Amino acid sequence: MLDAIPEHNNREFWLWLLRRRRRMRVVEESMVPTLLAGDEILFDPRAYDRIRPKPGDVVVAYHPDHPELKLVKRVLTVHEDGRCELISDNPDVGIDSRHFGPVSAELILGRVTSRFG
Amino acid sequence: MKRLAAKITKWFPAEAVYAHCDGPCGVYDPASARIAAEAVLSMTKKLIALEGDNSLAAENSKSRYIAIKEEQAHLAKTELLVLWTDYFKPVHLEKYPNLHDTFWKAAKLCSAVKVEVSLEHAQELMAAIEEIHNIFWATKGRDVPYYTAS
Repeated sequence: MLDAIPEHNNREFWLWLLRRRRRMRVVEESMVPTLLAGDEILFDPRAYDRIRPKPGDVVVAYHPDHPELKLVKRVLTVHEDGRCELISDNPDVGIDSRHFGPVSAELILGRVTSRFG
Repeated sequence: MKRLAAKITKWFPAEAVYAHCDGPCGVYDPASARIAAEAVLSMTKKLIALEGDNSLAAENSKSRYIAIKEEQAHLAKTELLVLWTDYFKPVHLEKYPNLHDTFWKAAKLCSAVKVEVSLEHAQELMAAIEEIHNIFWATKGRDVPYYTAS
């Protein structure tokens, strides 16, 4: 079972005001049913300053082939060298590491912590 | 706090992050049903304009308009059914509880405009497709304005 993303609470709201969270709006449907198109999310840009992503985390990352495109995906596995295999919760339609390969740690912007709004 | 957050997202939408998708998401568009329904509306108007004219030329035009109206009404229904059954998923129904009712009524209107020469029903069909357009693009998180060819 894929972990759901909780609704934001007051703590998350304050962290957002203090710029410890960043807000993004989901476009397209590869993370259905966890995230629907139009949902807004908060992510923690410092989440991986000290620790590595772990399988099951939902992350915001740059597309390795299109650096202008930010993606929201779930971590499937983490390699020894820190690169992550990202997968879609709706794998029938998603574009992810099955297509663009593992994503290096510096392209991962942070961990999604809550849904906003 | 929740209501404030809802207002913030409404007034200041955040930057886009892509739950990136392959082709299957992109190939659906209610526009195909809208074009067929517009053809039905146009044929209906042309038929009404020729009412009472029994000249050979008028009879010929009428039979052509009727043939196109039959064909396009059927096409509109097919396009709507594909959208309804293939694109929309249970999660969408949760967010748009009137989804099934909207499609069911639109499909019934396709049958009505095929059988009848009804301006009222042709216009109702257009309105139903506009509603479907709005729901469809909202599920994709995109703001695509509705427009018609005529």
